[in-house]
Amino acid sequence: MFELEGIFNAVGNFLASFLGSPLLQIVSIIAVAGVVIGFLMVLALFLVWWERKLSADFQVRIGPMRTGPHGVLQTIADALKLLQKEDIVPLTADKKVFFWAPVVCFVTCFLAYICIPFGKGLIARDLNIGILYIVAITTFTVISLLMAGWASNNKYSLLGGMRSAAQIVSYEVPLSLSLLGTVMLAQSLSMVTIVQGQGGSFLHWYIWRQPLGFLLYVTAATAEVNRTPFDIPEAEQELVAGYNIEYSGMKFAMFFLAEFINMFTVCAIAATLFLGGWNPPFEFLSFIPSWVWFLGKSLFLVFILMWFRWTFPRLRVDHLMAFAWKFLLPLAFLNIIVTGFLIYLFE
Amino acid sequence: MRAARQVWSGVYNLILGLLTVFKHLGHKAITLQYPDERMPMFERSRGVVVLLSDPETGKLNCTACMACARICPVYAIDLERSEEPDPETKKRYPVKFEIDNTTCAFCGLCEEACNFDAIKLTGKYEFSVYDQKTLLYDRDFLQELGRDVPYEKRKKPVPKAKAAPKADPTSPKPEEPGSPKPEAKPEESPKESPGEDKPEA
Repeated sequence: MFELEGIFNAVGNFLASFLGSPLLQIVSIIAVAGVVIGFLMVLALFLVWWERKLSADFQVRIGPMRTGPHGVLQTIADALKLLQKEDIVPLTADKKVFFWAPVVCFVTCFLAYICIPFGKGLIARDLNIGILYIVAITTFTVISLLMAGWASNNKYSLLGGMRSAAQIVSYEVPLSLSLLGTVMLAQSLSMVTIVQGQGGSFLHWYIWRQPLGFLLYVTAATAEVNRTPFDIPEAEQELVAGYNIEYSGMKFAMFFLAEFINMFTVCAIAATLFLGGWNPPFEFLSFIPSWVWFLGKSLFLVFILMWFRWTFPRLRVDHLMAFAWKFLLPLAFLNIIVTGFLIYLFE
Repeated sequence: MRAARQVWSGVYNLILGLLTVFKHLGHKAITLQYPDERMPMFERSRGVVVLLSDPETGKLNCTACMACARICPVYAIDLERSEEPDPETKKRYPVKFEIDNTTCAFCGLCEEACNFDAIKLTGKYEFSVYDQKTLLYDRDFLQELGRDVPYEKRKKPVPKAKAAPKADPTSPKPEEPGSPKPEAKPEESPKESPGEDKPEA
């Protein structure tokens, strides 16, 4: 009843009734992009507020309370403030790269949403290489962080950029490998097929057949989005703020919002691949629209990431690298081998 | 085996930490929304100095005996005694009583020295001003500040008051303005002239 698929289809049919084929293509692309970007911007603002509120709760504080009821409008006020701020470019910065770094960061974080199924039929384009595409496109973040770190011409931001490059590239390996088990089970890279393979009750979710893969993915994803305990790229005590130290105003806001959107991205992927995507946990709960399930699962994982952040201390650089290469990577390989063996055994 | 135990110990401790943090979620916040809510200050906290008044008559307890001004280590108290005693309470009172909050050290010696429950350090702490001169509190302002300050009257040490009522003129404990007793004012030589108007304000 509240499925958004019908609404979008009705709008599409309405547009198709008076638009020609090529024009319809353009209009629908712009419309879908607008909807997704608008949703993600609101979501990022919400996540920033939620993070602040949760951290306050964990630390027995109150958090933002003044702007709007329980401070819900605080991040909007912050974003407006950042919009009005002066855009400072360091004198010795590489001006062009300095300008493009936040743009690359901001744009690439939206690209993954092309093939993330928000609900039944709610997917911008069901690519047949879906998950591979997402893993490839999220890696672009590291380029923007390196650009920002290098172009700022500041030792702290350069260190932060280098660290994030080393970290993200390292953790990309166990991250991708941990997803392979699910792909092997689903026999497909397409996100929609993966979700459909988990229909029925919650027992069909891939997390039960890939528990190790899920744990590996969550660990590597935490490192992938530079969050505590893997936040050495922006270790405040050593690097002040990391790669974005020289950025101010809206450019800083773009980095900041992209960070939160990336966090939601990895959680949405985990929800899709391991927690059944938009499938309800029980058949009789299917009257609740599918996008509610998807959002609920993703936000639950976001909550877990925030919970991690306000609990765990930061890893040292060498420990971080050792953890990725000596611990996560062998486990990821083991996961693939065991999964393949079991698939061979039972099918 | 050792590696497995280490991994398990690490995971166990991480989970322990997560649970500890999670317990705080339902906790009531220990911080306050400051301008809206204020923490009740403790009874003996040493904040702004005020002058206490008798709750029945509304007059200052102070008899301008100068004990506080003498003991003040930073000379923050400046007071003048009235020429004539108050016609109602039959006691002298301060014509001028100024406390300089820019020099006051909030040591509490004046409160200890006072024999009349007249001066007290309170839990009030919000006295930031834009102009430094406004920190010089005069008598009426100090009295207003002390209006809502609850205090317990000091117990009258009966044997000591009976033993030496006239020996020490600055330590007469009996202080009951509600029932004026003529022998209860040994600290002044009472020049009572009820017809005279008060030199107040």
